[in-house]
Amino acid sequence: MSATQAIVVEGLSKRYGHIEAVHDVTFEVNAGEIFALLGPNGAGKTTTIEILEGFRERDSGRISVLGYDPADRRTSRELRERLGVVLQELAVEPFLSVQQVLTRHAGYFSRPLPVNNVLEQVGLMDKAATRVKRLSGGQQRRLDLALGIIGNPELLILDEPTTGFDPSARRDAWDLIRKLTENGTTVLLTTHYMDEAEALASQVAIISGGRIVAQGTPESIGGRDRGACRIRFWLPPGTTATDLPVPVSEGAGDAVEITTDHEIEVLARLTAWALEHQVNVIGLTVERLTLEDVYLRLVGYEAGIAAGGET
Amino acid sequence: MTTRSKSTARVFDDLRLVGRQIYYEQLSFWLNPIAAVFTVGFSVVFLVLLGATGGKSHVGFLGGIPVIQYYVAGFMAYGVMATCFNNVGVSLVVRREMGLLKRIRLSPLPPWVMLAGVTGSALVISVAQVLLLLLIGKLGYGVTGPYNVTALVIAIFVGVICFTALGVATSTLIPNQEAAGPVVSIVFFVLLFLSGLWYPLQPGSALARISGYLPFRRLITATFAPFDTRRGVSGWAWHDIIVMAVWGAAAVIVSVRRWRWAPHRT
Repeated sequence: MSATQAIVVEGLSKRYGHIEAVHDVTFEVNAGEIFALLGPNGAGKTTTIEILEGFRERDSGRISVLGYDPADRRTSRELRERLGVVLQELAVEPFLSVQQVLTRHAGYFSRPLPVNNVLEQVGLMDKAATRVKRLSGGQQRRLDLALGIIGNPELLILDEPTTGFDPSARRDAWDLIRKLTENGTTVLLTTHYMDEAEALASQVAIISGGRIVAQGTPESIGGRDRGACRIRFWLPPGTTATDLPVPVSEGAGDAVEITTDHEIEVLARLTAWALEHQVNVIGLTVERLTLEDVYLRLVGYEAGIAAGGET
Repeated sequence: MTTRSKSTARVFDDLRLVGRQIYYEQLSFWLNPIAAVFTVGFSVVFLVLLGATGGKSHVGFLGGIPVIQYYVAGFMAYGVMATCFNNVGVSLVVRREMGLLKRIRLSPLPPWVMLAGVTGSALVISVAQVLLLLLIGKLGYGVTGPYNVTALVIAIFVGVICFTALGVATSTLIPNQEAAGPVVSIVFFVLLFLSGLWYPLQPGSALARISGYLPFRRLITATFAPFDTRRGVSGWAWHDIIVMAVWGAAAVIVSVRRWRWAPHRT
């Protein structure tokens, strides 16, 4: 592993009985970047993450996390000093105050961040003295995030970190995660929200049926930057689809849609026709496939050829 | 710094961490009113009620000693068992199923420090209850003893270790937090009933023989021994202590084999 790679995974495999939860998974996460692992439930995301955390043992493959093998018990404490984790499940002690929970957790690390700074960062400063059980679900999730970063981690693993957040809390969490990476923290993230991956991640891997089916930047993954374009508009009043200079598929009402690899040519013909006939093309939009389109295509396709186990 | 002084510093750091864990375990316990009332409150209320209603009566087969001598010791044992078996067992199931244990496992806190914190906290609560019950017995009902303080200290200490281990082992056998409270409480109260907490068992009776295989009965009799006023009866209950030690060792084996950090639902 070079100094610029925080995580290296090569040929990782893990079985539970007859079920192959993860098969030959390979990816790398560069230091200081945000890497998103996307996939449906049971795809192998949590198994992969738990192996990286040293919580589960792998069957085969080579792994390096911050230069350590997470399965090596002799160095597990050193690795955990440098690792922050936000779990999928809400895990906070109900009877202690927010400040007490954070102070206790900070004491497990040798170089923790100041508790008040972290409370400020997650927006819980005014709740410092409140018992955890009196926090709302979203506030408890923010406390969860605070527990993940209190140890001043070099690598932060976030397993669906903003599930249960309201939209503004989500934006705040994104800002916080971006700020952490500005200070050099590497983030490995799983999420069901495509907009979250798109907003945060510089690299994305899609896992389905225990295999990585696509990997790249959010803008280019699955050929997103090269693939078909979708042009949509409303039929101008008094015209029919057959009057148009290009073939279209008809949607609801007067809406029509064109899917093409040659969007410049199609738009040129369409706009020339509109000018010539003095009609307005209302509601004209041009969009590439969304990350969600790519995701659903890849996951749907893979689901057909490989059965994913419960992981 | 040399390797040796580094590792010595690490040991001292870890011992400091144990102290911190005990402090936070205490906070968690006392800030949870149900746990505090059911554990400490019960032993005090039962002793006061039993002392007020039947405290002056005497037990013929125990040489005619006042029954309150027996109840003070019995409820000291109850306090230890409720704290270590019931409270530790249920709270570990709840913490595991909530994901708290998993979070601790993923932190640098060594597992032994966490368990030492749980055990140390159970010891603190047990000792506090023993002293409180002794005070109530002496001031309220004229209880005499203990006639062998060391024997009482050893009985309580072994009881704390044995029942904490049993609490940990029991937590590994219960898969969900909804079942934890009811299951542990029912088992606990039935075994206490059979072990003669509410009434002294006639030595040699079938019930005394059967419950004598269980640690619940053994802690009651080991705690009672230093309060037994009969002439010539030793305050040392070695036989009881050995039986508890064997149960404790078995519980450690079960705990090590079955322990898990992750919730069952994942």
